[in-house]
Amino acid sequence: MSSLAAERQPRLASQVAADTTGGDVAVELRDVTKTFGQVHALKEATLCVRRGELMTLLGPSGCGKSTLLNLIAGFLAPDRGELEIDGHRVNDTPPYKREIGMVFQNYALFPHMSAADNVGYGLRMRRLAKQEVGRRVADALALVRLSGIEERRPHQLSGGQQQRVALARALVISPKVLLLDEPLSALDRSLRASMQVEIKEIQRQLGVTTLFVTHDQGEALSLSDRIAVMFDGQIHQIGSPAEIYRRPKDRLVASFVGDVNVLRARLGSIDRTTATISLGGQSIPVASEPLAGCKPGDRADLFVRPEQLHLSETGELVAAQGTVTTHIYQGGHVDLYLLSPVAAGGRLLVRSSEPDAITRWPVGAAVGVTVSGADALAFPPQDDKP
Amino acid sequence: MTSQPFLRIFVAPGALAALALLAALATVLQYSLRLYVPGSLEAGGFTLANFTALLKPLYARVFLETVWISFLTAALTLLVAYPVAYALVHTQSRLTKAAILITAITPLFLGEVVRTYSWMAVLGNNGFVNSLLLALGLIDRPLQIMFTRAAVVTALVHVTLPVMVIMLAAALSHIDPNYAKAAQSLGAGPIRTFFTVTLPLSMPGVVAGVTTAFAWTFSAFATPQLIGGGRVNMIANLVYQLGLASFNFPFAASLSVAGLALTLATLGLVRLATRPLDKLGPP
Repeated sequence: MSSLAAERQPRLASQVAADTTGGDVAVELRDVTKTFGQVHALKEATLCVRRGELMTLLGPSGCGKSTLLNLIAGFLAPDRGELEIDGHRVNDTPPYKREIGMVFQNYALFPHMSAADNVGYGLRMRRLAKQEVGRRVADALALVRLSGIEERRPHQLSGGQQQRVALARALVISPKVLLLDEPLSALDRSLRASMQVEIKEIQRQLGVTTLFVTHDQGEALSLSDRIAVMFDGQIHQIGSPAEIYRRPKDRLVASFVGDVNVLRARLGSIDRTTATISLGGQSIPVASEPLAGCKPGDRADLFVRPEQLHLSETGELVAAQGTVTTHIYQGGHVDLYLLSPVAAGGRLLVRSSEPDAITRWPVGAAVGVTVSGADALAFPPQDDKP
Repeated sequence: MTSQPFLRIFVAPGALAALALLAALATVLQYSLRLYVPGSLEAGGFTLANFTALLKPLYARVFLETVWISFLTAALTLLVAYPVAYALVHTQSRLTKAAILITAITPLFLGEVVRTYSWMAVLGNNGFVNSLLLALGLIDRPLQIMFTRAAVVTALVHVTLPVMVIMLAAALSHIDPNYAKAAQSLGAGPIRTFFTVTLPLSMPGVVAGVTTAFAWTFSAFATPQLIGGGRVNMIANLVYQLGLASFNFPFAASLSVAGLALTLATLGLVRLATRPLDKLGPP
C-alpha cells in the first residue's frame, strides 16, 4: 500500500488538502424534503457529513438515497429544508457552480472524447491553460494508475478502466465533495473488491469528503467511516460500520445490515438500562431502550447475528432446538441452516468457524443452539413482519 | 439458405419488385440516349446530344439553382428543427410535448400541395404578411414575395420540417441524460454543456437529417412550381416543362438522369465530409 501511495503524485493531494481548512462540516442537510407527485422521496432528512470522511448512504432501491445525492449535486431542488456545502447555503446554486465531483453508475464518460479529454473536461470548463490541464490530467490518471490510455475512447476501455477514468475526471477538479452513485455495481465481484480498496486508499490519500451511495451492505461496512441507513425516504440511523452492525437502532436496520436471526422470545425482566430475554433455558441480557414500554412476560423478538449462535447437544440449557438442513462451506467458515420452531422465518443461520462443523453436525442431526456475546438485541414483536 | 427456409418464399416477389423498378429506371435511361424527333412522341436513334445540351448555361443555371435551394432549405430546416426537437425531447410536460408533436408533425399529413397553397395565402400580394405590414404602416405597397427564391425556400423548409424534427428527436432522445449531468457537475453551464456534449453527440442525427432534407428538396416539384411560378425553377420543374409541355421526352429523361447522378454525387460528398463525425454519438 505504501509503495502504491509513493507512486502516486502528491500534487492532487495538496490541492485538495488546501481546501480542507475551515470548519469540519463539509455537507449539511437540515430537514430536507423532496416529493415527486404523491411520492415522498425524502422526508425531513437531516445529515451532517464531516470534512474528509467517507460516508455511505445505504438502503434498498427506492429508499431515497439517490434522490439525496442528486439534491447535493444540484440536479434536484429540495421542496423544503436547507442544504449547505462548506457552510454556504446552496439551495439555489446550480450544479455547475457547486464544485462537486460525481461518478455515475454507468460512468457517463463522454463517448466522443478520449480518456484524457474526459478527465480534462472540468479543467477546460475552468479555463485553465492548456499546459496546466495536460499536467493535471496526467497526475489524475497516474493517481488512478491508468497512465498510457490517454488517447483511447471510452468504448475501448474495460469496465474497470472506465470506472477509473470517471473517478479521475471527478477528482481532477479538486471537488469540495465527491459523490459516487453505486459506482461499483456494474463491475464483477473480484474487480469490485479491488476497486473498493482502491477508492478507499485514494479517498484517504486526498482527504476528499466523499458520499457513496450503495445498496450493498457489505460494501458499506467495508468502505465507510460512517454509514447512513435509509428506508422509505427517511434516514434511520447514522453511525460507524461497527455501531450500525452491533447496535442497530431498529428492526429494519438490524435486518438490512448483515445476516441476522430473529427468534421469538419473551421479556424476562426490564429496568432503565438493561433487560433480559428468556428463550428456552437461557436468559440473555439485552439493552432495554428498544423495549421501552414493554412489561416482563411480553413477547419480544431477539435479533442475533449468525456468529453469535453456537451449536451444542440438545439439553435443558440451550436457547432453542433445531434440525440441521443444509451446510454451506465458505472457506473460512461454515454456514449451517437449521429448522427451528422459534425462528421467525422457521430457519436459523449459524456461522461456525470450527473446522469440523460439517462432520460434527451432519444434515438431519438434532442440535441445541445457545446465544453468546453481549451484542444480542431485542425489539417488540411486529406481527406483519416475518 | 437451409437455415432460413422462409427466405426462398420472399425471393420471387422481391425480385419482381426490383425488376419493375429497374425497368422504369432503364426506360428513362434509354430515352435519355435517344434522338428527339420534333412533332412526334416517338424517339429516334442513339445519341449523346441530350447530355451535351445539358451543358448549356440555361440548364446549368437550373442545376446550380436546385443545389443552392436544396442546400439553403436543408440548412434552414436544421436551424428551425433543432430547437423544436430539443424542446420535444426535454420538456417534462406532456401537454407541451403533445402541442409540439401536433404542430410539427401534422404538416406531414396535409400533403405538399395543400401546404404550398397555404403558403400562397400567406405570402401573396394580398396575403397575411403583406396585409400585416401594410396595416402596420411599414410599407406603402405590397412586397413581391411570391415567385422569389426566398418564398420557395420558406415553403420548402415547412415541407421538410416534420421529417427533420423526427430524425433529430430520435437522435437526441438516445443521448444518455447523465452526459449532460456529468458536464454540469464538472462546471459547464447550460450553453457550454450544449455545445460541448449534446450537440456533438447529436451529430449523427444532424447528418442524417440534413442529408435526407437535401435529397428530398432536390426532387421538389409542387412547391417551386406553385410558389416559384416559373420564375424559380428547379430540375423537376424543367423536366415537367420539357416532357409534358414540349413533349421532348429524351431531353426530359436526360435531365432526370443527370439530376439523379447529381443527387447521388452530392450525397456521396456529404457522406465523405461527415465521416469524421461517425465517431461522435452515443455508442
